[in-house]
Amino acid sequence: METLGKLKEEARTRIQGCTNLQELQQQRVLYLGKKGPIQEVMKTMRDLPAEKRPSFGAQVNEIKKQIEQDIEMRKAVLEVEEVQQRIEKEKMDITLDGQKPSLGNLHPLQLVQQEMEDLFIGLGYRIEEGPEVELDLYNFERANIPKDHPARDMQDTFYINAKELLRTHTTAIQTRVLETRAKEGMPAIKVICPGKVYRRDDDDATHSHQFVQCEGLVVGENIRLSDLKGTLQFLAQSMFGKQRTIRFRPSYFQFTEPSVEVDVSCHMCGGVGCPVCKKTGWIEILGAGMVHPNVLKMAGYDPERFCGFAFGIGIERVAMLKYGIQDIRDFYTNDIRFLKTFTRFE
Amino acid sequence: MIISRKWLQQYIDISDLAIEEIAEKLTNSGSEVEGIQKMSQGTNLVIANVIACVDHPDSDHLHLCQVDLGDEIVQIVCGAPNVTSGIKVIVARVHAMLPGGEIKESTIRGQVSKGMICSLLELGVDAHYLSEESKNGIEILPSDAPLGDTNPLGYLGLDDEILDVGLTPNRNDCMAAWAMAQELGAILGREVHLPCCKQKEYDEMPTTLHVASETKKCPLFLGKIIHEIQIKPSPKWMQELLMAAGIKSINNVVDISNFVMLETGQPVHFYDMAAIPEKEITVKDQIQEEYTALDGECYDLKEEDIVITSNHKPIGIAGIMGGNDSKIEASTKGIIIEVAQFDHVSIRNTARRLHLNTDASIRYQKGIEPLAADKAMHRACDLLVRYADATGIEKTAQYGTYDSEPIEFDIRVDRINKQLGTDFTHEEVMRVLTQLQLAPEPCDKAIHIKIPSYRMDLRIEQDIAEEIIRILGYDRLPSTMPQMASTLGALHTAQKVKRRIRQILCGLGYNEALSYTLVDKKKVKGAIMGSEDVYELASPMSEEHRYIRNSILPSLLDCIAYNQARNHKDIALFEISNTYQVGKVEERLCVVASGVLQQNRWQKYEVKVDFYTLKGLLEALLENLGFDAKRVQCKENTIDHSNFHPYRSAQIYLDKKCIGMVGELHPTLAKQYDIVDTLAMEITLDAVLHSKPAAIKYKEISKFPSISRDLAFVVQQDCKVGDIIKGIRKNGKVGKENIIQAVDVFDVYTGEHVQSGYKSIALRISFQSNTRTLNDQEINTIHDKILQTLTAELGAQLRS
Repeated sequence: METLGKLKEEARTRIQGCTNLQELQQQRVLYLGKKGPIQEVMKTMRDLPAEKRPSFGAQVNEIKKQIEQDIEMRKAVLEVEEVQQRIEKEKMDITLDGQKPSLGNLHPLQLVQQEMEDLFIGLGYRIEEGPEVELDLYNFERANIPKDHPARDMQDTFYINAKELLRTHTTAIQTRVLETRAKEGMPAIKVICPGKVYRRDDDDATHSHQFVQCEGLVVGENIRLSDLKGTLQFLAQSMFGKQRTIRFRPSYFQFTEPSVEVDVSCHMCGGVGCPVCKKTGWIEILGAGMVHPNVLKMAGYDPERFCGFAFGIGIERVAMLKYGIQDIRDFYTNDIRFLKTFTRFE
Repeated sequence: MIISRKWLQQYIDISDLAIEEIAEKLTNSGSEVEGIQKMSQGTNLVIANVIACVDHPDSDHLHLCQVDLGDEIVQIVCGAPNVTSGIKVIVARVHAMLPGGEIKESTIRGQVSKGMICSLLELGVDAHYLSEESKNGIEILPSDAPLGDTNPLGYLGLDDEILDVGLTPNRNDCMAAWAMAQELGAILGREVHLPCCKQKEYDEMPTTLHVASETKKCPLFLGKIIHEIQIKPSPKWMQELLMAAGIKSINNVVDISNFVMLETGQPVHFYDMAAIPEKEITVKDQIQEEYTALDGECYDLKEEDIVITSNHKPIGIAGIMGGNDSKIEASTKGIIIEVAQFDHVSIRNTARRLHLNTDASIRYQKGIEPLAADKAMHRACDLLVRYADATGIEKTAQYGTYDSEPIEFDIRVDRINKQLGTDFTHEEVMRVLTQLQLAPEPCDKAIHIKIPSYRMDLRIEQDIAEEIIRILGYDRLPSTMPQMASTLGALHTAQKVKRRIRQILCGLGYNEALSYTLVDKKKVKGAIMGSEDVYELASPMSEEHRYIRNSILPSLLDCIAYNQARNHKDIALFEISNTYQVGKVEERLCVVASGVLQQNRWQKYEVKVDFYTLKGLLEALLENLGFDAKRVQCKENTIDHSNFHPYRSAQIYLDKKCIGMVGELHPTLAKQYDIVDTLAMEITLDAVLHSKPAAIKYKEISKFPSISRDLAFVVQQDCKVGDIIKGIRKNGKVGKENIIQAVDVFDVYTGEHVQSGYKSIALRISFQSNTRTLNDQEINTIHDKILQTLTAELGAQLRS
């Protein structure tokens, strides 16, 4: 028994002395293996008288269990140490560049257009598009622009032939929508009509022969000019911030009567005056009005019963104001540095 | 439209209003004031007398002047070449504020100077108004100018303020000062007094003039002979008003023709009677000849031009400019007055062709109110009698008739309020209508109104609604939202798909580009899958933008060139746009890429763009849109070997229909654009937007283990891996189930260990069943079948 007691102490010292899991395993084999001292002692049990065997066996097992326990405890410690050592070896410079995937961006004009589309979808509008190569009929005639009007001149419009042209405004989409809905007998309309339009302008910092417009059209039985104001107030606040107010100024468009120019209080200075708003506190942003009865009549509506409002906004203008872009040609140059500017989700 | 405060003041009292206030009222009611110009500026000015002037002792050009300001005599150093003693001048006293800054007492080369003798330029007068003499030195006033007068600018008539009003096209009537005054009167609610034209203060003799028109483009022509007039300077007030309107005074008669035009909006032309001895004037077109106008220039007349003739000879280009022979000279004794209406489109075309935009032609182009001719004739005669001693006045000879039906209709206040969403009262509306000279009369529930002849823009109730709200103010308009049945706001399917495409491409690192629709001939010829039957503009602005493009790629290649030229080598762009051929529109997607798409340099990680990058992109994109690999195929390029590298490009098929091209640019084309390493893809989206995508259908994931086998074959160099995979897959059937789940190529090798003309392809085949665990034997059977097939069909050799 004394030997056993010594054995236990000796094993404990050795186990504590192990510095890695391999050494510990060696100790396990040494003490608890088939040729180890515990087994050896167990073998001597046969020589004991039968009545002493159980207590002897129990003592040996107890010692075996203790050694096992010591090993397990040491193992737990060594395992933690080992992980710790590995971790120490795996130091990294986390300030090195990550594998940053290149994300692409929408074109800024598309960004603004989608923002407007989503805004109006939320109000129950549909999005309608139409052909850029358009008939004179839908672009001018149906928009209440008479034959000899200067806007129909070769000077201002890209004609292809006497009948066809590149549309000069997205009003052409509206006149088509009006005709279709009147024919289908679905007179109520709530649509947004975005698209490219073309005018015979020389390209410079503020003019482009191609640009993007977005028009809106609402037709129903009780549509009022005040509804236009409410709707555009909503648009202005969504695009330029909650604090924005709008004002109407009388204007003139063939498509609408009454017609208004709409100013938004300056988003840069809040209306006190700055270079962006040319010190007026207001920025002219869109044209609008009540759909002219002639337009409704030509499309097949009864203007006594139906009326509506329409508005049009230049996407480039909004993008230039929003992002502070000075030259409209930048939108069409596709300089990769320009395109990569519009990365941030808004 | 330019109009001065003094001009308006003739008809309406605005003396209590600052010019800025007037401008704001006009702007807010629809006539946007785009600029305010003061004819001159300066405080602390005085009319003074130079009593002595000697050369500055210490300068070769300065003068030392003793100047009497009326209340004191001061010394002023003056550098003007025309200063001398004994002249009346304008002096800015010490502390005067001029456009250039404040005048301070100073010492100039040792001599004290207390003030400044001014030129008109220094007082802010636009050079446009000034004679050469006035521009080059100090202003010398008449000798009787009142010494000590503290308003020298008023004395010179230079204290006017000028409004530049941007008129909307419907309010061209306001080109007439009288109409502008009426408009301002309506806005301000003030009385307007226009010179009355009805009462003639002179006797008229029977006319001896014969007028006629041989063209429909002149529906009305009034002519009048005045036998005697006196040419002399116009009264000072008229000279000043004309100057403020930007017109130089010439003599009383010419000034009156301009003055009447500005007042009434109706151009008036005076001919020297001596130049038209036949006393016959006929308006014609169909004339082709050279003609010298009163500016001395020679113009080519064409058949479509309206020409004023006498005795078959042109005496004027109608509505644009009179002739040189018949112009008013100092020697003119008698005149013939012309007041006429001409077709505005014809005037516009002629004026543009001849590059002659005169005050008259601008007014004709914008349209003149029907009754203006009559008003102008009366007003001209009145002024000629008063300021040119006109006598021997004949009655007016008239060709044609006034085309003016009086317009009257009813409006209803309740209906107008309903259209606007306002609550204007009957009284308010009546007041506005009265201010607008619409002679409102209540009748029953409505109001009856009569439209004055110059308001050609007022024809329907909506027009009146606009008048009412613009006069009462848009700040009275409430903000409301439309009240109608609720509708579902949503994108159409095609719109959703396009947004999805944009989202995927952006997510993969491609930037959206936007290029011009109008392109040059070269781009049309370089189209991807496009015929040259394209739309050509009738009147392009340049060769660069002559055609409507039939393909996007050429435009994006320009963008690649632009960026590469600026040393930006890593470019990934896409554009979605319509492309056109005559009678056909196609929405297309174009993708271009060059250089490296993704990278992390220090890790040596990079994705360099090649054919397979775009092929993979296309497959991923279409798969995401619901078109799996079975429906999408890349096939040998047999149609376009000019844009694409013949062996590094493919035609793209969706459901057996060719929808586009993908591949490396042909080296020759790349050289033309001066670009390198560029890959491109262009597909028509119509097929994608209108084919039925597969529905998402869940298939239970197999619970049984997957087994894989690696195989390597040696095949001939031009053997297609696609064919090998097909050959493998078709052998995968066990019963009804194809147990080959995937075939992945993991190596393609040519080199020293493979016979030349051959390549080695290594693949991993994954087997799995949905119903059971596979055993080695069945896989071996399939394996053998695969080998047999590939050997027999493709001559493949298993590589040991």
